[in-house]
Amino acid sequence: MTLLADILTLLLNGLQQGAIYVLLAVGLSIILGTLKFVNFAHGALYLVGAYLGLFITTEVPLTNGQLAEWGIQSYGIGLGFIAALVIVPIVVFVIGLLMEKFVAQAFYSRPDTDQILVTFGLAIIVQETLRAMLGGNSQPFQQPSWASGPIALPIIGNFPRWRLGVIAITAVLVLGVYLLVEYTDFGLIVQAGTLDGEMVRLLGIKLSRPYLVVFGIGAALAGVAGVVGGPLANVNPNIGTEQLVPAFLTVVIGGVGKIEGAVVAGLMLGTLQVALIQTGNAAWSQVGIYALAAVILLVRPQGLLGSEVDVS
Amino acid sequence: MSDEPRDATATATADAENEVSGGLADQWASFRDREISTVLLTLVAVAVFPFLFNNYLDGYTQLATLMLIYGIFAIGFDILLGYTGLLSFGHAVFFGGAAYAAGIFSASVSSSPLLVLLAGLVFAVLMAWIVGFLSLRRGGIYFAILTLTFGQMSFYLAASPLAFLTNGENGFTSVDIGHLLGVVDLHGGVPFPLSMLVDNMVYVFVAVITVLSVAMANRILHSPYGTVFRAIRENESRAEFVGLNVWRYKLMAFIISAAFAGIAGSLFAIEGSYVPLESLYWTESGRIVIMTVLGGVGSLFGPLFGAGLYLYIENIVSGFPTLGPFWHLILGLVFVVMVVLFPDGIWGGVQYVRSRLFGGEES
Repeated sequence: MTLLADILTLLLNGLQQGAIYVLLAVGLSIILGTLKFVNFAHGALYLVGAYLGLFITTEVPLTNGQLAEWGIQSYGIGLGFIAALVIVPIVVFVIGLLMEKFVAQAFYSRPDTDQILVTFGLAIIVQETLRAMLGGNSQPFQQPSWASGPIALPIIGNFPRWRLGVIAITAVLVLGVYLLVEYTDFGLIVQAGTLDGEMVRLLGIKLSRPYLVVFGIGAALAGVAGVVGGPLANVNPNIGTEQLVPAFLTVVIGGVGKIEGAVVAGLMLGTLQVALIQTGNAAWSQVGIYALAAVILLVRPQGLLGSEVDVS
Repeated sequence: MSDEPRDATATATADAENEVSGGLADQWASFRDREISTVLLTLVAVAVFPFLFNNYLDGYTQLATLMLIYGIFAIGFDILLGYTGLLSFGHAVFFGGAAYAAGIFSASVSSSPLLVLLAGLVFAVLMAWIVGFLSLRRGGIYFAILTLTFGQMSFYLAASPLAFLTNGENGFTSVDIGHLLGVVDLHGGVPFPLSMLVDNMVYVFVAVITVLSVAMANRILHSPYGTVFRAIRENESRAEFVGLNVWRYKLMAFIISAAFAGIAGSLFAIEGSYVPLESLYWTESGRIVIMTVLGGVGSLFGPLFGAGLYLYIENIVSGFPTLGPFWHLILGLVFVVMVVLFPDGIWGGVQYVRSRLFGGEES
């Protein structure tokens, strides 16, 4: 019985750990798969989501940074968590649209290397603007009161309520995007464009708008990830770059452009990480996910669910 | 940092201006193309650099030393990025790894600076062989992500499972550097004639290695081997058709660039007698990318210049009253502007202006 409980706890914790990876990876993956655009600024969108979530949810006191020096003592409008969960994706969606229009479009025809460089630079700009303005210290992001504290589950016993919330929100969003891509006309156009953009254009279908929307959706997912992931750890300017690398790993392990792949890969990484921690090998938990990633990529370079089509 | 670029295939285009300036320009061009002149110019530049830097740019010798160290790192990185066209996001493995290897070697085997340098270099080359062998199976973004993966893996390895060797998050503090060849105290002063220019022996040591590295890079890039690198960057499949083993050349480019990173990493450990854990984090790999791109990819001296500029902004500009707090932001902005508008970097811009003003070769 306890073994079963242990395994279930492990799986739930793994789900929760993987959920943030999945949210980030799904966005990255559809952008990379459809638009063939490598977005190293995806972590920055997560960062923006987290800070924006903080701004909308509560009133945050400012202790250092430029704003504090200019005499502003706090920021935030205190509308609560639900408001953040609704507003942040919309704002980050718009940021995504702007990014596609003014950054990505100019770089579609340039090599991957240039795309990586420019988005990497953008990520630094976002991160350092936040650091300069709001200070580099960590801000606690309170869990919403209705979702904090433990909840009694059958077999497992007590489990943090917020972690279940993270899993649920992720599941709903990812399912939504999946249905959108698989079962709507919009999704059909996007998929066709991924396979053969030129052919789709020849059929008289404009791809620029669907592409724009895809970028926006990917960005919005990263923004939500920031709001959802914020309360799991403190918010500081480094969390974007910290999340970017595992997110990219999730994408390439799962197979570029595959939503199912990102889900499977994210859960694998999350579960492995949690398993190593729970079995007393915390020191190896980070090394473990990178080692697993390296092995998978070497054995199956196209990713677990990726097709043989070369996307490099 | 130094004054003249080297990579000239000097086919002095015979436009009007050039014919007018005549003999002197030709002599200058042929002087510039010789290897010995590259080395001499670098030597002069590193010799006078700390004097000028300390007196006119608010610098200090330790920062000048760091600039040269990162300059070596960037020159090596440019062999991979600028000449072969491969973007690695994991070069911290070789820099930080070599620094750790050098530090641990100095503490437990021998404290002779030259042997310590060699230990770091060998470690970096071996690591590059493994990482390169595994990462180069895929091109483009996969290469970037795989190198990133191995980089992060080594960071987390050093952070806790190997903490008994690396001292974990505190960084490796027990670096022990002895006298060079048993005579010269690296952390001591400089004898008379040299002391007019430099006040620190570590700088002299690093400067000598820098000149040797520049000479080495110059020779590699002007050899047929270097030409193959460029051919791969321009068109990989064509290089393959001609019968070149592209994969092997890429691996060698990777290893060569890691060797430079290894030299730089060892020098970093020798200079500071300390190896921070952050030297393995992926932002360190990002730093070298920025330095190289800022200075100018595909040129020999651009990266040196970029490394100097980056460290100058990081250490000197960050102390300015109003601009200071925004130094990292400024770097990011300049970097993005460079990538978007001037893919050839600052050095490329200088080249362009020079060729417009004086005519002559495009490199």
